Amino acid sequence: MTTRRLLIALPIIVLLFLLQSYFWVPTYEEQTRGNPQRLVEYVAASIGDAQLLNPTLSADSASSDINGLVFEGLLDYDENLNFRPRLATSWEIYEEAYFYVNEEAAVPGVGKVDARVLVRLINQAREEHAAREDPLSRSLSNIEAVESLPPRQFQRQISEASSEGNKTEVRLRISAPARIKLTLYGVDQDLFNNLAQLLGPGYFPSFRAEQYIVVEPAELEVKKKEYAQSYLPATEHNPVIIFNLRPGVKFQDGHVFNAHDVKFTYDSIMDPANVSPRLPDYEPIKSVEVLDPLTLRIVYKRLYSPALGTWMMGILPEHLLNGKALGEEARRRGLDPEKMSIRQSSFNRNPIGCGPFAFREWKSDQYILLDRFNDYWDGPANYLKYGYRIVPDVLTQEMEFYAGTVDSYGVQPHQVQRLKDDPRYQSFSGLSFGYTYIGYNLRREPFDDVRVREALGMAVDVDKIIRYVLYGQGERITGPFPKQTDFYEHAIQPLPCDPEGALRLLAEAGWKRNKQGWLEKNGKRLEFTLITNQGNNIRKAILSIVQDSWRKIGVDVRTDLLEWAVFIQERVNKLDFDALVLGWAMGIEPDLYQIWHSSQIGPYQLNFVGFKNREADELIIKIRQEYNREQQVAYCHRLHQIIAEEQPYTFLYVGKWTALLDKRIVIMERDKDGQVHYEKIKPTKTGNYTFYFNKWIKLPEMPTFAAEG
Amino acid sequence: MIPFLGRSLVQKTITLFFVSVISFAVVHLAPGEPSQVDPLNPKFTKEVVERFRQQFHLDKPLYQQYLLFYRDLFAGKSTSWKDGRSVLGKICDRFINSLPLFIVGTLITWTLSFPVGIQAAIKRGGKYDRTTTFLAYLLISIPGFFFAYVLIIFVVSTFQVPVIGMTTFGLSGAGYLTRIMDRVWHLLLPSILGATAGIAVLSRYVRNQMLEVEGQDYVRTARAKGLPEEQVHYKHALRNALLPFVTMFGLVLPGLIGGSVIIESIFSWPGIGRMAYEAILARDYPVIITVNFISAILVLVGTFLSDLLYMVVDPRIKI
Repeated sequence: MTTRRLLIALPIIVLLFLLQSYFWVPTYEEQTRGNPQRLVEYVAASIGDAQLLNPTLSADSASSDINGLVFEGLLDYDENLNFRPRLATSWEIYEEAYFYVNEEAAVPGVGKVDARVLVRLINQAREEHAAREDPLSRSLSNIEAVESLPPRQFQRQISEASSEGNKTEVRLRISAPARIKLTLYGVDQDLFNNLAQLLGPGYFPSFRAEQYIVVEPAELEVKKKEYAQSYLPATEHNPVIIFNLRPGVKFQDGHVFNAHDVKFTYDSIMDPANVSPRLPDYEPIKSVEVLDPLTLRIVYKRLYSPALGTWMMGILPEHLLNGKALGEEARRRGLDPEKMSIRQSSFNRNPIGCGPFAFREWKSDQYILLDRFNDYWDGPANYLKYGYRIVPDVLTQEMEFYAGTVDSYGVQPHQVQRLKDDPRYQSFSGLSFGYTYIGYNLRREPFDDVRVREALGMAVDVDKIIRYVLYGQGERITGPFPKQTDFYEHAIQPLPCDPEGALRLLAEAGWKRNKQGWLEKNGKRLEFTLITNQGNNIRKAILSIVQDSWRKIGVDVRTDLLEWAVFIQERVNKLDFDALVLGWAMGIEPDLYQIWHSSQIGPYQLNFVGFKNREADELIIKIRQEYNREQQVAYCHRLHQIIAEEQPYTFLYVGKWTALLDKRIVIMERDKDGQVHYEKIKPTKTGNYTFYFNKWIKLPEMPTFAAEG
Repeated sequence: MIPFLGRSLVQKTITLFFVSVISFAVVHLAPGEPSQVDPLNPKFTKEVVERFRQQFHLDKPLYQQYLLFYRDLFAGKSTSWKDGRSVLGKICDRFINSLPLFIVGTLITWTLSFPVGIQAAIKRGGKYDRTTTFLAYLLISIPGFFFAYVLIIFVVSTFQVPVIGMTTFGLSGAGYLTRIMDRVWHLLLPSILGATAGIAVLSRYVRNQMLEVEGQDYVRTARAKGLPEEQVHYKHALRNALLPFVTMFGLVLPGLIGGSVIIESIFSWPGIGRMAYEAILARDYPVIITVNFISAILVLVGTFLSDLLYMVVDPRIKI
């Protein structure tokens, strides 16, 4: 009967057709053996897809992986996390400092002085202090030149939004007095403090800038002080960076790179139409000047020590993105040229930079392919191709790695034991940049008492958390700096796990155990809620472990898991929590302003625990302003110590990552005679194993190294 | 007929309007904000966040945002916040990727369920029937992702062939036919997985439907006439048992855009379900709302089509 036969035959045909396709697909063995191309291609896998392949606009990790290969910055970090030259061959940092002549202040021993006398005074002092070793002498010998700038008159137009929302145009007529310009050999944040010894302690603070400003309309006279602050600051530090650029560097389209590209990159970040998330990094810049095609002069408005690091930003090619190019693109695509910004440009999906790999193809949520850039200034990479696959599931990533279609795999903590020493792979591990902590709301009782915070920290056995929750893949941490940098103070010991000691501390603070065993003070039980976000199983486990340890010493703690958005918006941002478990991801720069400075304790700010410490505040500012690394490290160690003493967080751990790599991948180098050497891949001191990526290559057979034994 | 069409058009437009309002409201009222205005990134200052809000019109009142959004959508101008690409273009790309998965999955489901279900109904209570019942419940209750993992690990470790993605990575140099077959192979596992639950449910449904019809008088009459069993089952019973499936077929349509979030994520298949899921995680409002809106349209079109189909196949029904 036809119907019946049809009904049975149809699914069989469909399934047979589908199943026969198996015979067409190459097995993994065949893939590498019959396909030498596979050996010159590196394949990485990522959980998420890139968003925008433009270093000035993207903020996600997948995009920065690719941008790091396609684009090149002026400098980057070397093996030891020091800066090394890339597109810039060298740089020089010095300072131009200014102060207004305070006509009313009397200089000790001299009286009121004008600009000419001041210059002479300072020059005299420089000679006198030449060989001495006190702070003032050091500041003075750091001065390269002193000159006086004549008084000048200028106007400023600003628009001021009133409380009702309408704007008024304000005109400021400023007749500034004479000014002294000091050119320094190196940046000196204490310059004016030290000069005050020479010119009198009141010289700078007593400068009345208001008298030189006329505000129109007169109703806004009240704001004069504010305007004076910003337009006539008594003193001003202007650090300057001079970059000497590498000649003859080419973009991947053959265009030669020069200083205008750098300036263009800066301008496009500052252009409000592009909405660049990098803007805060470059906001302290006063001007970027192209001195000649290979020299740039960047002047900063104020002391900002992370400045140099911001130039690791990949440089955009001006000729492809300037107004003219964008206008043409808009016409081609039928868009409004007026509204066209870099954000809309198709460049973000077809990037061109100066990096070692050139972009070829991007299939959203599938892969991004790059080709080696043969004209790369530092010599071409060994790999001819780079494939970046988007595999959103960790288990499938693992399966792909075992089978050889992905060359590396980030091991999950519970697998490390099993895979670390597997002879089939090479493995690397290191510390992450980031840590997990318990944060206390210091505005609330009982967390306003440091003894309570310390006791709570002592009651928790962090080592056990690391051993059982992280499978040993973590290390204890005592403060807010990345553990693998110098900024971290290794001398500070983590809190011991000592529940008895914790009880003693709590007793000192007035908390005694009652009949039921709960801690009590003035008839009030020690009770609060510990919260964290949903979806992070490690934090969830920590929550229960911490709850259990605290309950054991008589703290009545409840726990709550909240959806991320609710957690952040309703609790963290509105400062409505007792204690929370959370983590920070960190960069290398030691700038802690947003997370630890006392000006950042309001709602929606990041110092949500409400940490306030005068010395810490000063140190945070000093760290931000210090250009001398040794000095900066010293400040960081002190800050680390203060935070460790104050225990606003119970610092828990920093995670460890482990990565597996195909054993056939090695470092290949050619010496002068063209002889090829192979070397095992070694991680740098900070654990970064991809540092020499450009020298990697995959061999057809697993290599043996004599030194390995 | 005409009045039915007119009435249904008006009704569906009204429904669509409410759907548009609700899907817009749900997305905006849900807590959380686009990742670009992530409040916990120390690098983002207030000014940057504020500028993003302006760019995305997030600073305007909701009803204005609603109007702006749908104006852009209908003009084909709305762009994804995540990567600035046109939303419709993105959906179109992904739709083309999801389509083969959907077609093969549906094909497997519908071709397999009928013979299995009919056979079970004919041999009701027998060993075959009980086995299929057991299997059907097993397939319904196994979590999809678990089954997928088991299947992937099994296939990869036994056959040593790639199963992830739409094609084998790095096979671009191979011949035309090989590439096509490679694609077919990559379709196999995800579409079987996508079909399992469907087969289980549908074959049960077919079985029950057949049983119901088999008990009808006209089937008994056919048997009494002395027709061979096969003819009774496949001609008299099956035809009438098929009727309700015509309506079900119309409801398959929304599956076109829904895709399968879990299967697509596990197999790193760049389909529309995965895109929608990632858009939700990134709070990429334009993409979420547009996908919602289009699937609402498809649901409405689907029900409309099944109404029409029903009229065609069942002459007793007049509208």
